[in-house]
Amino acid sequence: MAEPLPAVATDPRTELRGLALIQGEQDDGTLNKSLLHYVWQPAQPGWLILVLIGLGGTGLLFSAVTLTVAKGIGMWGNNIPVAWAFGIINFVWWIGIGHAGTLISAILLLFQQKWRTSINRFAEAMTLFAVMQAALFPVLHTGRPWFAIYWLFPYPSLNKIWPQFKSPLMWDVFAVSTYFITSLLFWYLGLIPDLASLRDSSTSRRKRIAYGIFSLGWRGSARHWHHYKIAYLLLAGLATPLVLSVHTIVSWDFAVSILPGWHTTIFPPYFVAGAVFSGFAMVLTLIIPARKFMGLKHVVTIRHLDSMAKVMLTTGLIVAYGYIMEHFAAWYSDNPYEGHVFFFTRPRGPYAWAYYTQMFCNVMVPQIFWLKRARQNIAILWIGSVLVNVGMWFERFNIIVTSLHQDFIPSNWHMYYPTWVDLSLLSGTICFFGLLFLLFLKFVPAVAVSEVKELRHELRVSHESMSELEGAKP
Amino acid sequence: MSRRFVLGEFGEPEACVEAARKLREQGVAGLDAYSPYPLHGIDEALALPRSKVPLVALTGGVLGALGGYAMQWWMNAVNYPINVGNRPPHGFWTNIPITFECGVLLSVLSIFFSSIFGFFQLPRTYHPVFESEQFRTASLDAFWISAETGDDDAAAGIEEKFRSAGARRVHTVTEAE
Repeated sequence: MAEPLPAVATDPRTELRGLALIQGEQDDGTLNKSLLHYVWQPAQPGWLILVLIGLGGTGLLFSAVTLTVAKGIGMWGNNIPVAWAFGIINFVWWIGIGHAGTLISAILLLFQQKWRTSINRFAEAMTLFAVMQAALFPVLHTGRPWFAIYWLFPYPSLNKIWPQFKSPLMWDVFAVSTYFITSLLFWYLGLIPDLASLRDSSTSRRKRIAYGIFSLGWRGSARHWHHYKIAYLLLAGLATPLVLSVHTIVSWDFAVSILPGWHTTIFPPYFVAGAVFSGFAMVLTLIIPARKFMGLKHVVTIRHLDSMAKVMLTTGLIVAYGYIMEHFAAWYSDNPYEGHVFFFTRPRGPYAWAYYTQMFCNVMVPQIFWLKRARQNIAILWIGSVLVNVGMWFERFNIIVTSLHQDFIPSNWHMYYPTWVDLSLLSGTICFFGLLFLLFLKFVPAVAVSEVKELRHELRVSHESMSELEGAKP
Repeated sequence: MSRRFVLGEFGEPEACVEAARKLREQGVAGLDAYSPYPLHGIDEALALPRSKVPLVALTGGVLGALGGYAMQWWMNAVNYPINVGNRPPHGFWTNIPITFECGVLLSVLSIFFSSIFGFFQLPRTYHPVFESEQFRTASLDAFWISAETGDDDAAAGIEEKFRSAGARRVHTVTEAE
């Protein structure tokens, strides 16, 4: 079901004219109508059904959380030596997914990639909701979170002691909370002009007041835009090193220890690439159905999907390089424990199936995106993106469970099996994430309307100046 | 005496910027422009001074980083030193990640809150320009210029200037008492 490319895409000058970024004859009025339409139309049956499923899954999540808190961490399958299992796998997986949002909204903004404009809002929302899921796990895995506060956050408690800042786990607390706050504020700042558009296009007084409150009384004044542009750019500039630091620090949770399979210097870049890889996969998984059912095909075109597939391929290759280097370092170091993990436990041990799932999904599957036809085929893109998400989950499973379950002393070895509470937490966070996302799609514009209008204007101006140049030719 | 705002609507961004420049050169005071997205060249047209947001960001970032480092040093090396495997209580390199995060955090917070509360003077529940129902297009698909004035006679004169600058709709709103 390859979607036909817009006719203009065959024109080699399309890149310069950017017509494929916004399809059809659009002006500010038609963009308003089409991009705000989904918010104003009554809820669709499909949306309601998905919300109900999301609510059910969220119920499951909160039940599992309650059980964990009430009965203790023994409800999970964790044991010694596998003390970090689903909790940390899910944490790293979710936070990695979030990273694509910041990459799209901040790094591509700094690189002036115009194709980011119609997907940045979407990806930022994904970041925000993914980080919320991620943050649940480290808090829960402490077992008794109400006691964990005093050694996680530096506040003057009656114990008169302070957190140990030399621990990478503390760095993680600061990195993740900074990341969440930054993502939230960046997202909201971008949203304010669009909330004002919703306020001004609302038909009922109730909606007008509601969006009026959230838009804070924004009136699009040039004196405000003057500061706004700089504030937005600076936030992007700060989010860029921040996102790199977050997954670097997450990887230090592992790399700073001495466990074979964790103790390697390739971890920070390889984790960051893996995060972007899985994040782009998640953006594709979500945006392919969303653009169809929300009528966004004219602003999220095949051109966008194609670019995202290219980023996925690139980061997938970096991840594959990371895998190769891990194995190389294990062989070259001639360390028997490293060798055991990389040449016995992972490829031939009891969890070998997880290892081969990881290799298939993360190394083999993305290679199909070398082909233009695969990048522009909706079905292949969607299936590929789902497989990458699965593969990246198994990558974390392998890093954590296979490295831990056979450590230095064979008498210490122990298999790990998840319990139903572990599985409920994982599926529950997926549903909770989906629920938040559905609410986001319904109540605010999923595409940054003011930025798309600005892009349309820029494209028109550059198109006109190009036509003039062509006219000037002899 | 309540304030009056003369409002003029333009269909095209370039026309709006050009009109803003012309009106300012004609000596119309209290000018502002409104648009659904940032207008190219409006800063020069209205002769807006350089934004102080970068200065706020830098100050926040530096204070955050210094504060973050000082916090770790005081808590782990002065107030409650713990000997872990004979590592020094004050570890410069292990303090770097949190120092960086604190710098970013405080910079982000100061950019956001100084913009909203300081530079934008938001949230605000009322502004005289919203007296005009037609002004709602300012966040949708039209471009507006306003000029603030105190009395009706002056407003009539400014309205004339707006029309000759090319505004397609001109009217004056009065601030509610």
